[in-house]
Amino acid sequence: MNETGLRQLSEKLIGTEIKAELLRLFHMNPGVLDTVDGIARRIGRMPNDVETEIVTLVDLGVLRRERFGKLDVVSLNTRKDKEVQEKLAALIEGGVKE
Amino acid sequence: MRGDVTLVVGSTGTGKTTLALQYLVNGATKFNENGLYVTFEQMPAQIYRDAASFGWDIRKLEAEGKLRVVCTSPPVLVQFVEQRNPIDAIIEEINAKRIVIDSISHLEAFIPASELRGELYRLINHLKMKELTSVFTAESHEVFGDRLVVTGVGLSFLVDCIILLRIVEIQSSLKKALTILKIRGSDHDKQLREFEITSEGIRIEAPFKDLEGLLTGTPRRTAEERFAEAFAKAARK
Repeated sequence: MNETGLRQLSEKLIGTEIKAELLRLFHMNPGVLDTVDGIARRIGRMPNDVETEIVTLVDLGVLRRERFGKLDVVSLNTRKDKEVQEKLAALIEGGVKE
Repeated sequence: MRGDVTLVVGSTGTGKTTLALQYLVNGATKFNENGLYVTFEQMPAQIYRDAASFGWDIRKLEAEGKLRVVCTSPPVLVQFVEQRNPIDAIIEEINAKRIVIDSISHLEAFIPASELRGELYRLINHLKMKELTSVFTAESHEVFGDRLVVTGVGLSFLVDCIILLRIVEIQSSLKKALTILKIRGSDHDKQLREFEITSEGIRIEAPFKDLEGLLTGTPRRTAEERFAEAFAKAARK
């Protein structure tokens, strides 16, 4: 197993408690399509705390963020999320080199 | 009718969500009409679980592209940019013919009262233009009592059909009653019918008999029924 790769990816993915909560929210409820404020409410957090973590997950491609008029709407990027999950699984199994 | 909007009004626990979900599941499984379920409060995971208790596999229907559950906030639903709404892409992706919005009452908490009717009017027309047949649910605050407010924003004038779900007390038991208050441009069954939430969803039973004042929640026997009983009692003496 490539420990560095696995650590880096998993840290990016679930490095903080809020990020883990966000991933749990979207994996259990893939139909969530909401504002940062709405998402923060759904996991019982403050919007400012959630904002940074959403940016990281958007950068990773797991979440998608689209501007709609005055609103930023966040949703799960199911295709990219699946890719990241497969990559993580492959890293755990030692099938992907860094 | 295709493109019509039906409002399902009822207090908590009357079965609005079950009825709305059943409408979508039947559409997807029996009528080849795909559907979109928009929820504001209930999380999809909870809807999957509740639906499973009726034998409805929502995740499977989602995987087959026949149904989609979207969890969002009211401001997202009423956000339009160049005649497009954030849920339009999903409607087009699954070629939805039916939509449920559960519940429209949540809009009141997010949208100023002065704008609410206008926003609902815009949303209804948007869905009609897409030829979607819609069901909106709305919370009625009165569980019992003789005062009934369908919605506080005049939504009843905007919709084509109104179904009222109500809990009534009959001989110390709580029963569920359903009636159609309005169908635009058509006559309809005006009887109050009992309905039950079974393991397969909502089942509508026969109309209530020999009772009046059902909508108050505490019905009494009709005058004829009282007279007949008094007569029978006198005859027995």
